[in-house]
Amino acid sequence: MSIAVFLESYNGELIKASKEAVAVGKTIAEKTGKSLFGIVLDDNVDNVISAAGQIGVDTIKAASGVSLYHPTMYSRFIVNAGKDADYIILPATVWGSEIAPQVTVKLDATPVSDIIGVEDANTFKRSLHGNKIHGTVKAEGKMIITVRAGVFDVPAENVVTPNVETISPETMDSDSIMKLAEILASSTGTIELTEADIIVSGGRGMGGPDQFNIIEDLAEVMTAAVGASRAAVDAGWREHSDQVGQTGKFVSPKLYIAAGISGAIQHLAGMSSSEIIVAINKDEEAPIFKIADYGLVGDLFEVVPKLTEAIKKVKGL
Amino acid sequence: MKIVCLLKVVPDTETRFQINSDSTDVVWDASIDYIMNPYDEYAVEEAIKIKESIGADVITVTIGKGEEEKSIRKAMAMGVDEGILIENPDLVNSDPLSIAKAYAEVVKPLGADIIFCGKIETDTSESFVGPAVAALLNMPVITEISGLEVSESGIVATRDASGRKEKFESSYPVVLTAEKGLNEPRYPKLPMIMKAKKKPLAKKDDAGTVIRTSVKQIKAELPPSKGAGKKLEGSIDDIVGQLVDGLQNKDKMI
Repeated sequence: MSIAVFLESYNGELIKASKEAVAVGKTIAEKTGKSLFGIVLDDNVDNVISAAGQIGVDTIKAASGVSLYHPTMYSRFIVNAGKDADYIILPATVWGSEIAPQVTVKLDATPVSDIIGVEDANTFKRSLHGNKIHGTVKAEGKMIITVRAGVFDVPAENVVTPNVETISPETMDSDSIMKLAEILASSTGTIELTEADIIVSGGRGMGGPDQFNIIEDLAEVMTAAVGASRAAVDAGWREHSDQVGQTGKFVSPKLYIAAGISGAIQHLAGMSSSEIIVAINKDEEAPIFKIADYGLVGDLFEVVPKLTEAIKKVKGL
Repeated sequence: MKIVCLLKVVPDTETRFQINSDSTDVVWDASIDYIMNPYDEYAVEEAIKIKESIGADVITVTIGKGEEEKSIRKAMAMGVDEGILIENPDLVNSDPLSIAKAYAEVVKPLGADIIFCGKIETDTSESFVGPAVAALLNMPVITEISGLEVSESGIVATRDASGRKEKFESSYPVVLTAEKGLNEPRYPKLPMIMKAKKKPLAKKDDAGTVIRTSVKQIKAELPPSKGAGKKLEGSIDDIVGQLVDGLQNKDKMI
């Protein structure tokens, strides 16, 4: 009886959301006394296995030579590797959220999606109504759990050398009716929002797409991801994949810097659980200031470049 | 070509909820407005666009408890041809797998080439039904798509996945879930609204499937609020200095 964690990786890199899923697995392991193992599918499994070993994952079932994602193939592999486990835990990424329901169906299990907290071995917190409500759910039976990215802390370093069992994945050959044809680099090509420790976001106050260069400059010196409010996305200044909020991404980085964002409820729903919030806005009545740890009333076109310069100086850049 | 849209009805996303007296749920009263799940609306719009470009019958299937007809009629005014509504509160309150099984049971005999729904339900934050229905009906699934090209032989879909753009190809049948950005849903015009009133809507009270509650909500609460906000005082140079000092020395962020 055990706990399986899908260690999502890409090109040999274990993603942060997977480490957070391991943290959930470890919490459940402590509460139940069950053992934990990881499931890896990648072209370069060694790198992923070694990254998992850094956070104490001591047993891994791995499929090597997997160079292209296919949801059916991934689901089948996870079903086979995890069929005897009491819990299968996946990060609630695009892949994880696509795979988990298929695994749930195949194992006729209990789905517990997109959790934000673990109360005990069968009681979990979820975010409802665009994060305006937190619900607690009690689940029974074999559980397939997905974990919201950016909520749980990555487990502390605890280096082990994992025992690895290599299993061949089923090949999805040419008779497979659906395939991933191509992976193109992201248009922004920077840090993914839900993976970032620091996010710098711009809103309506940016006034246009070109002005985002000052946000990007600040993000670069802080090694941060760039986000945007719905107003900025709806205006066509930024891609929807950059949107933070109820109809965009839910984020909870260590540091969130909001520039020219007034703080509509739908934006706050997506970022108010950030550890430290910095708000820069010329309207001192803007609702964003109510949740800001550091509120800077002023013209963002003056404040943001000065902040970039000041941080450069501190970092010796 | 036949397209089936799974259409859920949810509280308006602007709703300000209150917690009920025993803290088990929000208060469900007459003040709540119901709308088509915004992500399902992208799916409906895309289905109508396919209908307009290469021809298709578009059917919506909804599981609900009595608040749904207005939204289904809106989808019909957008161009949906007919609707099926399963009204069953026990089913609505059951676990996501039971709901997916009911959808699969209703959709199966329709012979859909594309099954379309939103990437997420804004009320329950579930992204479960689309991929689960795909697994139950043995169909491939591509979730959270933001681009779609359709031809007689199949589809090409693109999406953003963890910072990458992924491009998928599939023949029919296929299950797709829609992300914001796929299209801009239309506002129905008056003649279409009138026409929608007469389109067929079949109501049933059961899908004939087993209803389980393997996941039960036992508590609801407002998210912990952040402490009162703090504004920095001084000139722009002063407040930038205070911020950098705080982030560096107090919060250890730099």
